[in-house]
Amino acid sequence: MKIGGYLCTGCGIGDRLDTKSLETVAVREGRIGFCKTHDFLCSQAGVDMINADLAAEGDDKVTKLVIMACSRRAKTEAFNFGAVPTARVNLREGVIWIRPEGSEHEETTQEMAADYIRMGCAEVKAMHQADASGEQGKNNHIMIVGGGVTGMTAALEASKAGYYASIIEKSDRLGGVMGQLHKRHPLRSPYQHPQDTGVAAMIAAVEADDKITVYLNSKVASTSGAPGRFNVTIASSVGAGTQAEFGAIVQATGFTPYDANNLPEFSYGKSANVVTQLELEAMAQAAGDGAIKRADGKEVKNVVFVQCAGQRSEKEGHLSWCSGHCCSTSVKQAMYFKDSNPEIETTILFDDLRTPGAGGENFYRSAQDKMVTFRKGKVSTVEAAGSDLKVNFKDLILNEDTHMEADLVVLATGMMPNAGVNIDAPKDDAANGEVKVPVESILNLQYRQGPDVPQLVNGFADSHFICFPYETRRTGIYTAGPVRRPMDGGQAQTDAMGAVMKAIQAIENSAIGRAAHPRSGDLSFPSFRKEGCTQCKRCTVECPFGAINEDEKGYPQYNEARCRRCGTCMGACPVQVISFKNYSIETVGAQLKAVEVPDEYSEKPRILVLACENDAYPALDMAAMKRNESSAFIRVIPVRCLGSTNTIWIKDALGSGYDGVVMMGCKKGVDYQCHFVKGSEMAHVRMAKIGDTLSTMNLESERVAVHEVAITDIDRAPKLLDEMVEVINRVGMSPFKF
Amino acid sequence: MSTAVNQAMVEKYKGNFLKEVTENVEEGNWVKMCMQCGVCSGSCPLGPHWDHPPQEIFMMIRANKREEVLSSTSMWMCTSCYNCIARCPRGLPITHIMHGLAHYSKRIGLKPKNQPTEKFGQMFWDNLTKKGRVNELKLGLGLYFKDGFAEGVKVAMSKQKLGMNMMKAKRMSPMEMLGGHGVSDLAGFHAMLKKAEELEAARVGENTDKK
Amino acid sequence: MTAVVATNQTIIVVGGGISGMTAALEAAETGKQVILLEKRPYLGGRVTQLYKYFPKMCHPTCGQEINQRRIKMNKNLTVITQAEVSNISGGKGDYTVSVTLTPRYVNSNCTACGDCAKAATTEFDDEFNYNLGKRKGVYLPNAMAFPQQYVIDARLIGTPEADAAKAACKYGAIDLDEKEETIELKAGAVVFATGWKPYDANKIQPYGYDRFANVINNVEFERLMDPHGPTGGKLLRPSDGKEAKNIAFIQCAGSRDRNYLKHCSRFCCMASLKQTQYVTEKYGTDGKSTIYYIDIRSIDRFEDFYRNVQADPSVSFIKSKVAKVEQDKDGNPVLHGVNTEGYHRYANTHDLVVLATGMEPSVDFKGLPIKIAVNEEGFIEHDEANGGIFAAGVAADAMDVNRAVQHATAAALRAVQVVNQVAGA
Repeated sequence: MKIGGYLCTGCGIGDRLDTKSLETVAVREGRIGFCKTHDFLCSQAGVDMINADLAAEGDDKVTKLVIMACSRRAKTEAFNFGAVPTARVNLREGVIWIRPEGSEHEETTQEMAADYIRMGCAEVKAMHQADASGEQGKNNHIMIVGGGVTGMTAALEASKAGYYASIIEKSDRLGGVMGQLHKRHPLRSPYQHPQDTGVAAMIAAVEADDKITVYLNSKVASTSGAPGRFNVTIASSVGAGTQAEFGAIVQATGFTPYDANNLPEFSYGKSANVVTQLELEAMAQAAGDGAIKRADGKEVKNVVFVQCAGQRSEKEGHLSWCSGHCCSTSVKQAMYFKDSNPEIETTILFDDLRTPGAGGENFYRSAQDKMVTFRKGKVSTVEAAGSDLKVNFKDLILNEDTHMEADLVVLATGMMPNAGVNIDAPKDDAANGEVKVPVESILNLQYRQGPDVPQLVNGFADSHFICFPYETRRTGIYTAGPVRRPMDGGQAQTDAMGAVMKAIQAIENSAIGRAAHPRSGDLSFPSFRKEGCTQCKRCTVECPFGAINEDEKGYPQYNEARCRRCGTCMGACPVQVISFKNYSIETVGAQLKAVEVPDEYSEKPRILVLACENDAYPALDMAAMKRNESSAFIRVIPVRCLGSTNTIWIKDALGSGYDGVVMMGCKKGVDYQCHFVKGSEMAHVRMAKIGDTLSTMNLESERVAVHEVAITDIDRAPKLLDEMVEVINRVGMSPFKF
Repeated sequence: MSTAVNQAMVEKYKGNFLKEVTENVEEGNWVKMCMQCGVCSGSCPLGPHWDHPPQEIFMMIRANKREEVLSSTSMWMCTSCYNCIARCPRGLPITHIMHGLAHYSKRIGLKPKNQPTEKFGQMFWDNLTKKGRVNELKLGLGLYFKDGFAEGVKVAMSKQKLGMNMMKAKRMSPMEMLGGHGVSDLAGFHAMLKKAEELEAARVGENTDKK
Repeated sequence: MTAVVATNQTIIVVGGGISGMTAALEAAETGKQVILLEKRPYLGGRVTQLYKYFPKMCHPTCGQEINQRRIKMNKNLTVITQAEVSNISGGKGDYTVSVTLTPRYVNSNCTACGDCAKAATTEFDDEFNYNLGKRKGVYLPNAMAFPQQYVIDARLIGTPEADAAKAACKYGAIDLDEKEETIELKAGAVVFATGWKPYDANKIQPYGYDRFANVINNVEFERLMDPHGPTGGKLLRPSDGKEAKNIAFIQCAGSRDRNYLKHCSRFCCMASLKQTQYVTEKYGTDGKSTIYYIDIRSIDRFEDFYRNVQADPSVSFIKSKVAKVEQDKDGNPVLHGVNTEGYHRYANTHDLVVLATGMEPSVDFKGLPIKIAVNEEGFIEHDEANGGIFAAGVAADAMDVNRAVQHATAAALRAVQVVNQVAGA
């Protein structure tokens, strides 16, 4: 093993720092093989120099690198040497750009640079080349749960891309809700008339496709394994079960229509002439293109649609959300009547008419053109008087309470996701006296964290991230269609394609041991030292991605292909036995110990800063680009996630004479911004407990601060560091200097 | 006649006023396209003086407020500035619809009583059709005295200067009091009007007969 | 420029905004060869110019950081900036794409040290800030700019200032002799992720965007909140720099209107709801936001956000398409119209008016050298006849960021299907 150090003197580094002395620090104190300088290290010549050393033979061969130049966010491509362990020492954005010029600052600035070099050298020594675990498998077969239009689209599109698909459908037929519709919204310009659902053709295509297998009357009884090697038991309600292996999973389990029996105010259940949109579809299907008849056989002449029935409402038992499709659905259904007989009166009572996009607005206009009447009104009750109905509502434009007669009322009720078990639900629901019908699991995942994918809000299994809609927190398992978010059929089909894209990606990456987003391509994965493990299960509990199982003795079982490489397990471990080859307790611990801590009377405190590499570190970087000044006493270490922060680092830092520790992570809570879900929150929790350690050490609690820092906190982040300097000025230097 | 037409319409459309408007009012087939944004109501320079602005009228049509709409003074207030047409996001020819509604309300006898614009319109029409040319003097005087003799004298006195100027500019002649000028083929003109009236009556009749 | 290797198994993505980055990354991370073309000098598109996203009120630059890191680490993905497609020929599985490259005058030697910019003085309107501020002629387009390389404004070429910038560079990164060039690339599939532009509010005459300084559009409002923006993150109105505390949001400014854009642009209701929260963030209960709307389209779970905004005492809603905007003697915009819920006429004075302008496709697809299905509104429709050409994100319909990313992921699959078929998989 030989460590090569490369010190860039460009971009002002050579002008601002005594690079000769830094070379000495690297070699003598950092104890690396050598330290070469270059006045333009990122140039082709500079990179060629490094590559030549990596390619050298025998004793000259360099196997690890310390690049002493700019931030790891700069010149990333130039300094990308693949799997070679590389430490980036940030002398530009981290030192000279945040420190003022002038002789009075030279000493502290130089000390800062020297410390970062010591840290980089120490880090790289603790790093090892990451490579795949060897446990990976490749399986080109996607399991698709749900045989509705979303699931069938997913299967057909996967097949088109050259992959195999199996559809697991719980009922005895394919088609789902779309299969129960008379027609669907138009998908193409000019978006004027309802069109054929295309479900029959789709079923035929599925059945004719030799890459697609269909399991009807079937459910997923058990799912274990990981992307590339999911092992699934398919249970059939009519025959024997099956075992199958899959590479990835698309969950397209759709929705359950809201139970309109919860809406007695609209006389649902009391009058057969009050129906839901889905029930109207059956009536329309029965009528073909002829007259739609009520249950009593009478032709419908005057129909009223009640939008937002039991939804967009805060009333007990109602749905708070908007199901998105129902305005367009009522528009479509009013056309069923108008297209068969323009004399039929059709009125849509709405609050906000939600027909978005190019298609939506055209469809709305087309309905108006067909003489569908739209009234902005809030319906209070529907009264059943004999076979006829009276709809009481407030006309919001004319500002009056009024009513309409109708012979049929259609309720636009909402959609409720079939997402399975809410694994985050509080366990003691029964305690408040509610008797809940147990929810059946969809996937029956044999995961420590529960049998189904986590839900975001209102039971929908959606991603928490705007930029990453397919983040399901269960690698290789992607939800699509109305189970993910309320949506119409067209959107669900696009969604199915997106989910299949991610499924294929999971298959390809798990085969070569590469991590999924956000650390895409990372080959490192966590492992643990069994002798030290106390089977405390903190790691398995805290893993935000459900990646870690426990064996029968309670030892963790890592599933590399499920892991996102955040290091939350490593931060959680009370006995520090978990590590990645290139990121470990040691790589960070060695860095913080490498810092030279001046004595108590030097007036040079040392502040350890642990910064999330995705938000806080870039914020500090961009602050430097703006040349925002920062204290010379800070020593910043980027971490994969604040959740990977192990309390031992804090104890070590305080024990070795640091005066303060600042941790910067992403926003936590409901609208968390942490890309590893709970990392930041976990760090806050762990640090809340550090108070005990501080008091045993007789240190002031203010010496450790945890902040939520956003990537835009360019001005705020350096100020937070200044605040710690002030704290230390106030409470004094640490007594733990040696 | 008008009451009979009104009865026939009520009978025919049975509470579907939107349909009645669509089929009978000039440009009335556009009313269904309104999306109640209210830009017409806000754009109307005379808006503050109306009972109901256009968008509200259109909503009232959908709400079957037939009597209220047709006897409203609103449509009579339109000055044809075309602001509403220019701004309507749905392209409704609102100015024309308003005039169409006014005309329809008059035709079926539901026009508001003593509505000055309506009165002036009738006066203008009568004046014009008599000779085929407008007799400014008679029209002006008729307008002045529409609210009685005393009021007429008062208005006439206040407009004295305007009258003198018009005479000076040869835009009005006192001789007009004695018959006044007209079109050369007055008989032909009247025959033409009669034919037009017949055609219109036939059209309306046809519509009311249709079940 | 370095030779770019492309075959008929290559996927070309046109447009490097969030949709294009997503389509390119999803395909590249699946092992496909991808070339991402962007006409601006940096990636990220319009989302980089936003302050926050709805409904989470998180910062777009956060996701941008992740995506840029993914791009930096991915060797399957080649990014070419300042590149525009000038011609496409061929068919599915076998396209030839001509790409015109405009000069940046700065090559990849650039270390972003900033010495060149120090040598420059002339200022130009800053397009990143929608011309609300100035930038130098030698500049880094924004703090997150990727590639992290300076740009020299073509208008400086031939001036002593350009020579001074070149002289200031120690790394040979400035090449003032760079010329426009056209390269030809092979591709199996082409994904258009060309995004949108805000509807030109000058055309909406009654709102006075062209006449009144204190009438701005919704994307400009985003720049006022940005700490990197022209006001340093302060809500100051353009006419006099006074704090804008009483703000009107006019919905459907251009959208749902036959005179302008027929379609509903879908994102603008949520954008304005979000922007009311900027006002609350700045001024608390001293702020006042008024939304003038036809229908509030806070679809699906966005309804929760709408409900929260409704509960904010500093926000009020008026159901009205504003008829016209006038300006009083103090430069305050005065809104005229009718609240249609019960017929109430208003003449409301505000400090600032934000027009919720809609989105229209930034490219006229009907003018493409190859024929594809385009709808009346100018968006690309999915059609078998389009062969291996696909739309991602807002090139296909008006939508918000989340949906655009989802759509772009689907578009990546369509492209992957084509190249996999080419590969005979």
